[in-house]
Amino acid sequence: MKTPTLKYCLWGILPVLLLIFPAGPAYSAEGGVVQTYKNATVPFDDQKQVDGVLPLAVNSVQVTERYKGGRFRTETRKDKLQRFSCSQCHNNKPVTVPRAAEMTHGDITLVHGSQDRPLSCYTCHKKDERDFLVTEQGVKVDMDHSYQMCGQCHFRQKKDWVGGAHGKRISYWAGQRVVKNCTACHDPHSPLFKKRWPTTYSPPLSKSK
Amino acid sequence: MDPRKNNTDQKQIENDCRQAKQFGRREFLKGAAKAAAVGGAAMLAGCGTGMLGSSEELSLRWKEYFKKNYRLMTQEEKDVTVQRLEQLAKIKYNVNIQMRSKAPIDGVLFGYAFNVTRCEGFMECVAACVKENNLDRKSNTQYIRIFEMEHGQMSPEVGNGKFYHQVPVEDHFYMGVQCFHCESAPCIKACPTKATWKEPDGIVVVDYDWCIGCRYCMAACPYYGRRFNWNEPQVPLKEMTKKQHYLGNRMRAKGQMEKCTFCVQRSREGRLPACVEACPTGSRVFGNLLDPDSEIRFVLKHKKVFRWKEDLGTDPKFWYFID
Amino acid sequence: METTQEKVMMKNSPKKGIISFVTDVIAWNLSGGIGYQIFLCCLAALVMLGVYAYSVQTKLGLSATNMTDIVSWGFYIANFTFLVGVAAAAVMIILPAYIFKDKDLHRVVIIGEGVANGALVMCLLFITVDIGGPLKLWHLIPGIGLFNWPSSMLTWDIVVLNGYLALNILVPAYILYCQYNNREPDEKIYRPFVFLSIFWAFSIHLVTAFLYQGLPARPFWNNPLMGPRFLASAFAAGPALITVVLLIIRGATTYKIEDQIINKLRLIIVVSAIINLIMLFSEIFKEFYLPTHHSLPAIYLYFGLKGHNALVPWIWTGIGMNLLGTLTLIWNPGKNNSKVLVPACILLFLGIWIEKGMGLIVPGLVPSPLGEVIDYAPSWVEISIALGILAIGIGVVTALIKPALIIEQRFEARQ
Repeated sequence: MKTPTLKYCLWGILPVLLLIFPAGPAYSAEGGVVQTYKNATVPFDDQKQVDGVLPLAVNSVQVTERYKGGRFRTETRKDKLQRFSCSQCHNNKPVTVPRAAEMTHGDITLVHGSQDRPLSCYTCHKKDERDFLVTEQGVKVDMDHSYQMCGQCHFRQKKDWVGGAHGKRISYWAGQRVVKNCTACHDPHSPLFKKRWPTTYSPPLSKSK
Repeated sequence: MDPRKNNTDQKQIENDCRQAKQFGRREFLKGAAKAAAVGGAAMLAGCGTGMLGSSEELSLRWKEYFKKNYRLMTQEEKDVTVQRLEQLAKIKYNVNIQMRSKAPIDGVLFGYAFNVTRCEGFMECVAACVKENNLDRKSNTQYIRIFEMEHGQMSPEVGNGKFYHQVPVEDHFYMGVQCFHCESAPCIKACPTKATWKEPDGIVVVDYDWCIGCRYCMAACPYYGRRFNWNEPQVPLKEMTKKQHYLGNRMRAKGQMEKCTFCVQRSREGRLPACVEACPTGSRVFGNLLDPDSEIRFVLKHKKVFRWKEDLGTDPKFWYFID
Repeated sequence: METTQEKVMMKNSPKKGIISFVTDVIAWNLSGGIGYQIFLCCLAALVMLGVYAYSVQTKLGLSATNMTDIVSWGFYIANFTFLVGVAAAAVMIILPAYIFKDKDLHRVVIIGEGVANGALVMCLLFITVDIGGPLKLWHLIPGIGLFNWPSSMLTWDIVVLNGYLALNILVPAYILYCQYNNREPDEKIYRPFVFLSIFWAFSIHLVTAFLYQGLPARPFWNNPLMGPRFLASAFAAGPALITVVLLIIRGATTYKIEDQIINKLRLIIVVSAIINLIMLFSEIFKEFYLPTHHSLPAIYLYFGLKGHNALVPWIWTGIGMNLLGTLTLIWNPGKNNSKVLVPACILLFLGIWIEKGMGLIVPGLVPSPLGEVIDYAPSWVEISIALGILAIGIGVVTALIKPALIIEQRFEARQ
């Protein structure tokens, strides 16, 4: 009986080859997803490609900044302010109600800026036209476009907000981009966030049953 | 050799055989009857009330049992199975659901970014995901996990995933983890029945009815992205999300794998996933990676991004970034 | 010139068909003394317990076990992993018998194959009870389902396990059927399949090792030593079990088993056990010389982690039993005395069962990819089902070996 050494070798190598063979195609994708998206330079037509995107039912204004050559919108603010418009009271007539400031604006605590150089009311509010805000340079800013105010100091966050890395998008991912404005999340008078309890928790994973 | 002795030997052998055969036959019949009785009792006890249902339900289930893998179905077959599932949901839960089997959109590859600086641990995303995806309340299944981390470490493995106190805590930051929808996902390679695959729009999905429940994909995932239904999932009917997708948030059964699907029932309609929509601090960014004007592309271009366990070669489509 | 005796014998042994072969086998399996009948009843009782527990599992789902999303593979897969090794170990008898033409071991090949078949049946049953949707297993059949070969290692495992089972049933069945009909089995027919089964045996255990080895997500498993370690531990535990079975056969039946066979098996066990211990040392060195985050599973296994140390006494007992068994077999006090050999082999078998079963699967999954540590111990459902499957395995081994020995003895007597 001949010793079938060659047969052994073949039988032994065959499963090994079959195992290594599928590994080749696994490494054929060069660069992965990063290369895939870097190669994608053609703009995506939301309206054409994605059907069923409904326009968002919020009041919004178009932001003055351009976003990658296009425009985007942000929520209006004036319709959400309780005491707007300011000129109803602040119209150069004398205020006759006693302690009016406390009654109307008593709920505002101004804690904005550093301790030795805090902001004051007139840093942002235009003294002669109370319906508007004013920048350091004296440029009048509408309350719906308050991002221009915040962007004076917080220019990095504003740049991110225009791009999409900061703030919150309230429209769909496809279609017209509508984002929250700064004051929707940050109270401009005391912007520091308070602590709160989380909505839920992750229960322990031990099987107690 | 003495023939007579031979014959007696032979008779002895024959007697032994006969006795053995009789003994054998009796024993065999006894054993078989016992086994049949026990087996029947066990089947009835095991099946319980699950098997009993109306004949309509049974016929729908029968047809569902023999259907193909979703990937191999034609659009008509998909529509037919969606209809059957809607009917079954009506019979089983008495709810009217709308199930769709919408195909992926051309020219779309979904990407996700998570702002580690902005997350404050509110876990609104977790609650929204549980509700939107009809996750099992009994076993507290959560696709998303949030970790409270101390400064100095960037890996959720050393964070605390079970916190429940006022947030944010000083000198801590928060990181969220979920399925990262890897481009070269190990779970897809591991599945023996091809029940999980990557759709053309980049979402890694599971055909729940095709999955046999071997849990090899769960061993293969380095990110704890996949969940298994150890028990029959329970969802309160009031809280059930009725707009469902076959590959997404439809009701699963015990013994099936499930995972985050980037809310395929929403994202294919152009809507944001539930977690992105729910986040109060805007830490989550979602969009089309192939659209150079999208927010996600802005983040990837201008912010310092990193991916978790990138050294494992999984190529995930979920990036973390810091302000 | 035939004598009368020969005429009588030939008249009483005409060429018998398959049906009589099968009925005779069944008859032989159910007949025996009172001890044997009690043994069969005990097996039946355990099987009934297993079936009842499985019915509970079918009703509640796999939540009847103690497995969770973190420890997603538990007692069932641990036993499966270990038993594939036992099944592969039959090759350690077949290889010397056929390649080195060892006459002594040639006599016990059929017993080795019987044990291997029992272990394989147990493996397949453990997989079936672990599956979440066993009624959907037809999804694996290529043609009517989808079979993810060659990407998924599980598909490789299915192919090699079933192929090995087929080889291990068909070849001995052919040999036994020939001997039942008082014919010398034709070597030219079955010899190529025997050689195929030698390579197949190595491959079943390598493929099972690659199931774990190929997952970079689990650093405890993702090392190149898993495959060789599985083989070494299999070739120590399997022949240990076969030695115990042979000693039982020697004590309980009239089948002759010489001392050289036991001694040769002992040498095979000793060499494999020493290689297994060297590999264990190599793994321990890698984990503990410069520990990394990837060493956390090993720390959890040997010393406990974050207050969870359920596996620590388990693994140290296992290693202790392994060492004690190996040393006893090396020293061989009593010179192959079965009173020493049986406990030593059982110690070695159980030690490797602990180390390769729970001591491999659970630390691979703990800490989870998110760093969470959890303790795992099998529930009553898992233990009952495992006992039931064990009873089925023992039943299969008995059912295969008993008729095989009867046929072999009669065949040898008539030679």
